[in-house]
Amino acid sequence: MAKGRTALASGVALAFVVTATAVHGTAGHGRSAGSPTSSLLAAAGGLPSPERPAFVVGTPVRLRKGETPARFAPVMREVEARRRPSRSASRVAELSGETPEGTTNIVLVLAGTTREDGQWVRVRLPVLPNGQTAWVPRRALGGYQFVHTRLVVNRERFTATLFSDGHAVFHAAIGIGRPESPTPSGDFYIRDKLSGFGNLFYGPIAYGTSAKSAVLTDWPGGGFIGVHGTNQPDLIPGRISHGCIRMRNDDILRLSHLMPVGTPLTIE
Amino acid sequence: MKQRPIDDTLDSCDELARTLAEIDVGGVLHETASAVSAGTRASFLRRSLGAAAGVGALLTATDAEAATTAATKNDVAILQFDLVLEYLQAGLYTEAERLDALTPTTLAWARVVGAHERAHVRAIKGLLGRKTVPSPSFDYRNVTSSEQAFIKTAVAFEDLTAALLKWQAPRLDSRSIVAAVVTLHSVETRHAAWIRHIVGLEPATTAFDKPASQRKMAELIDSTHFVASKARVARKAQPPYSG
Repeated sequence: MAKGRTALASGVALAFVVTATAVHGTAGHGRSAGSPTSSLLAAAGGLPSPERPAFVVGTPVRLRKGETPARFAPVMREVEARRRPSRSASRVAELSGETPEGTTNIVLVLAGTTREDGQWVRVRLPVLPNGQTAWVPRRALGGYQFVHTRLVVNRERFTATLFSDGHAVFHAAIGIGRPESPTPSGDFYIRDKLSGFGNLFYGPIAYGTSAKSAVLTDWPGGGFIGVHGTNQPDLIPGRISHGCIRMRNDDILRLSHLMPVGTPLTIE
Repeated sequence: MKQRPIDDTLDSCDELARTLAEIDVGGVLHETASAVSAGTRASFLRRSLGAAAGVGALLTATDAEAATTAATKNDVAILQFDLVLEYLQAGLYTEAERLDALTPTTLAWARVVGAHERAHVRAIKGLLGRKTVPSPSFDYRNVTSSEQAFIKTAVAFEDLTAALLKWQAPRLDSRSIVAAVVTLHSVETRHAAWIRHIVGLEPATTAFDKPASQRKMAELIDSTHFVASKARVARKAQPPYSG
């Protein structure tokens, strides 16, 4: 390919020289100082050396084929989530723009469709019963953000594993809910991240999830399940919590550098 | 023939303005636009008086950071503006590719152009170094999954970016930054011609192109409302979780 290009360039250069010579020959001027070509060459020779560009653009990198990161979007205004992508469809839940902890409410977006009244998207809901999805108008949401991570919690092995682009990048032992306040199973997402609360019980960092306790429904904030640190690391692994996923403080700190909000969460 | 003052050379972008206004959607670019507009005449004076010191420093710079340190306030403001614009474009095409809702021809174009715009982002960020600006949040609404809206937006942005770089080039103090920016300009014009060809629009409608000012570009971007406020997903607060 490169050879071909070189040959093509040589050919073009040769054609230019031949044409220029022919013009000179016809005119009978040779390379006299007054010929158009010689004046062009003289002008070119008098130019300053080329400026060195302040930057050079590197090789463009395309997205990997088949790359399917998860996407989430903020809820921009109170909106009713419906069973089907239609205003006349039955209401499943109401979504507000803010979470009980005062962060922007986000939803994981799973699919989209265009209808006469505009675009609709199917979203994962942070409501009971857990695991529900429903449709909301696209315009009720803000801009999409993409994440390449997924957190998998295994309740039998008491482990949490974070995958990034399909590769395990974090693994830790955890504590889960006691039999009377179990950690729910299913597909959820991480919806916010709290810090600076100075409460040793939750450790240094607490992530909020879209999962809710099916039994502690009167808990302040509605009984959302968190992923957080602990002041009782010796109890891990085990069934020790009110439903939250606890990990040692070193582990939650490590996770906080790896896991962005919006990460899908599977509890199996 | 009376020559128009360069500062008044505004493109009649009415068609593009309408196109972008149709799309519907904050305004992060005004600040940098104003900084450059205010500094333009002073920078021309500096250059005409021979701003050899700044240019000389850039010429001898061996790395991007040294080059940025030597760059004038005016040049930094222009590059920061361009960076935000490149973020906007790179985000648009990347999202379109990920949503995979466009026709194969349009998606193939978006895939190539998206990779170019991301490379432009890396290059400008590399030059700006510590003077880089973070990417705003963007909300492209339905544009990245609607063929018609996407093409309208892509044509408008590629045409306008080429026009903008034409406006900026004579306003830059550093010749080495001019030399770099023109390498982007020709690529943006190719993008513009390519997408125009795909949708059956004439790739080259005039014998010479008019520049479009930075203020004009900022106003147009503002009218799209693509620049959105950031979602507040992290904060210092007591966890209400079940524990």
